[in-house]
Amino acid sequence: MIRIEHKDVVGRGGESAGRITRIILDRADKKNALTPAMLDGLIAGATAAAGSRAIVLEGEGAAFCSGFDLTRCRENSDALRVLLDGLSRAVRTLRRIEAPVVVAAHGAALAGGCALLGGADLVVTHTDARIGYPVVRLGISPAISAPFLRLAVGDGRTRERMLDSALISGWEAFRTGLAHECLEDAGKVRARAVAIAEGLAAKPAWGLAATKRWMNEVDGTDLDEWPDRALAASMSIVGSEEERERLAALWKA
Amino acid sequence: MAEIVELNMAGPIARVTLNRPEQRNALSIDLLAGLHARLDELAERGKAEGPRVLVVSGAGKSFCAGMDLKQVLGEPGAPLKLLTLLAEACIKLRALPFPTIASIQGAAIGGGCGLTTVCDFAITHADCKMGFPEVDLGVSPAVVAPWLVRKIGAGRARAMLLRGGLMSGRDAHAAGLVSECVDQVEGLEAATNSLAERLATGGPRALEATKGLLNEIDGSGDVGLAQRSARVSAEVLALPEAQAMLRSKLGL
Repeated sequence: MIRIEHKDVVGRGGESAGRITRIILDRADKKNALTPAMLDGLIAGATAAAGSRAIVLEGEGAAFCSGFDLTRCRENSDALRVLLDGLSRAVRTLRRIEAPVVVAAHGAALAGGCALLGGADLVVTHTDARIGYPVVRLGISPAISAPFLRLAVGDGRTRERMLDSALISGWEAFRTGLAHECLEDAGKVRARAVAIAEGLAAKPAWGLAATKRWMNEVDGTDLDEWPDRALAASMSIVGSEEERERLAALWKA
Repeated sequence: MAEIVELNMAGPIARVTLNRPEQRNALSIDLLAGLHARLDELAERGKAEGPRVLVVSGAGKSFCAGMDLKQVLGEPGAPLKLLTLLAEACIKLRALPFPTIASIQGAAIGGGCGLTTVCDFAITHADCKMGFPEVDLGVSPAVVAPWLVRKIGAGRARAMLLRGGLMSGRDAHAAGLVSECVDQVEGLEAATNSLAERLATGGPRALEATKGLLNEIDGSGDVGLAQRSARVSAEVLALPEAQAMLRSKLGL
């Protein structure tokens, strides 16, 4: 359910500029809903791509990612714990890997899918993409994303996104700093993300890597304290009566 | 007799209304004491009655015209008392374990605009007057600075507070000061209710856990910083030159 592809890149002078790695969520029939295995595959793929010059994270089909696959969380709260833990590790891995990470957020980036944007260095989307955290109404806390989302959009807008189940458009995500490029055409987002990665790959790798490492140090994402506390906040209500009732109602509906 | 700040807790949406419309809800010591009493009541009764959302609004044509400047010109201790009451009310408002919305009509100026930045959400209309004109009057908006930094970021907050002046609701939206801006003031109530009803569908425990983490990560519970901010504003307000300028502006 995770597909890895490599692409060789030619530098400005026609010389080989190494390769980029495309990590593709490949479960289009479920809008790339995340399972624990997919999150582990994503982490393994990103770790194995350490020698790549840039990484693209994409989703197959109509949407980048619709969030967690909650089917197994219906009977068993531990399944949600495993997903939250995997998501937290995945975001940290993307953030800290040496190569810059470009996410192609086409169609939808919801809940855990939106959280993945927090690990990205660059996000490409399109005007009518649907983005956000429709999870408090399920009795689930998106707090896990806060340490990363606040760096992109600021604390004020982080509140708006996390406490409100409503989704925003790709244009609004671009306007508020969650996305860095916004195209008209959903069908061109993935190709554009690959093109951006190729452009990054053609730049001297040492400068990019040192800069990314330093940005993480400046904004604190090289440290585990806040990601740990944020994960603990989301974990603290897993298995609550509220969550059990609301998830059960989701399947009745 | 009507209360100077009213609390209505019917159903999942609690409402706190500044109710001093003849003074455009200017923040006096009485009004801020009333706000404290209503916020305490809300926190206490909230445990049993479980409101899901709070809407803060102002009665009459304006949300809030700012600090009651006439009051700070009289007694020597009044500026610090007033500003400390405001700073502590902000701490209480932020600590509520459910989302809060400022519904802003007409004007939200100075300390009144500051109060809106403490809410998790703010809604206004395009031609509302908002902003922090303190520096134009020779006083300092220090008391709202920590909240504005949390709302729109340190760089934008610095520019906004040092530049002073007022902006339209439309510009406030572009700056991130409000989360939503409707075209006409007539549409404000419906937009506020629609947002409040949507937020009320969130799981109370999920909202509390999320808001708790957000309050920790941006330092919202920093009482010491809030009190120091109030002292800085009070010190400037107590300067003879500031008092003289306010007297002449107010025609006293």
